[in-house]
Amino acid sequence: MSVEEQVKDIVSKIAHIDKDIMSRESTFKEMKADSLDIVQALVAIEEQFDIEIPDEEAQKFRNFGDFVAFVEQEVAKKG
Amino acid sequence: MKPLEGKLALVTGSGRGIGKAIAMKFASQGCDIIVNYFRRREAAEQTCEELKQFGVKTDIVKANVGDPDKINELFDTIGERHGHLDIFISNAASGVGRPIMEIDSKAWDWTLNINAKAMLLCSQRAAGLMEGRQGKIVSISSLGSTFVWPTYAAVGVSKAALEAVTRYLAIEFAPKGISVNAVSASAVATEALKFYMKEGLVKDMSSTTPVGRMVTPEDVANAVAFLVSDEAYMIRGQTVIIDGGTSIALVPPVTEKSENK
Repeated sequence: MSVEEQVKDIVSKIAHIDKDIMSRESTFKEMKADSLDIVQALVAIEEQFDIEIPDEEAQKFRNFGDFVAFVEQEVAKKG
Repeated sequence: MKPLEGKLALVTGSGRGIGKAIAMKFASQGCDIIVNYFRRREAAEQTCEELKQFGVKTDIVKANVGDPDKINELFDTIGERHGHLDIFISNAASGVGRPIMEIDSKAWDWTLNINAKAMLLCSQRAAGLMEGRQGKIVSISSLGSTFVWPTYAAVGVSKAALEAVTRYLAIEFAPKGISVNAVSASAVATEALKFYMKEGLVKDMSSTTPVGRMVTPEDVANAVAFLVSDEAYMIRGQTVIIDGGTSIALVPPVTEKSENK
């Protein structure tokens, strides 16, 4: 499963979002994910990929695509 | 000999803020420290570096104390690496700030799990590592347990539960030779608070605090250090308030500015 698919899986389970409506362009607001959903998703993704997503970086995410791109970048760094 | 020499303390959430100040205070008294963090390893490593200036041993263990499985992993690790524990400080906290009508089950559980349930589950495991060692446990509460602040309902309730857990533990652990207390602070001048002040969510309380300044992490650490000392032996299950007098001053102190009005 690709990083994007795994991230999508985690976020959809935590925030109870239908995966079909999640695209890279979707904002968290559009997906109706609240601040706690986002924090819990960050925690779960950090755990899953053994990476760190600083809050300052997370605040810059404009949409789900930015989120996925950051995770992909951190996973790639780990090799 | 320093007062805490030869002792080992676990301080949850000690990568920064109040937890870090407590760890620094203990280390200055010769205590070896286990730094626990949730998400920021870099901050925890930095804390360890600063602790080492006191010549103490340090260890780092990651754990989300809101998750019972992670609590078990945390204490299993401590048991394997150290085999004992003398002091446990339940400091790690989180919470969802919302008006009461917007608090859903998920926000409630997240807040209560980290702030209150963790104290119970961690203390149960800590007690097993404190046998025959005159252990000390201190929880970090806040004035929101008793007083009402906007959007603080979930956290305030969790802190009230934390204080109640502290009292019950104090009585049930007394025969084990373990003392349990809490400290409760008003708004503490941490980096987190600076953020909330910048966002306009919290005001600078210096002028409304009778002593004329806000509570610092070091003020809280000093009280915690007293509660883990032998001098505090007969203090059990209490919540010591660290607020510069704010909570008992119904009318804020008269400042020079208000005198001129």
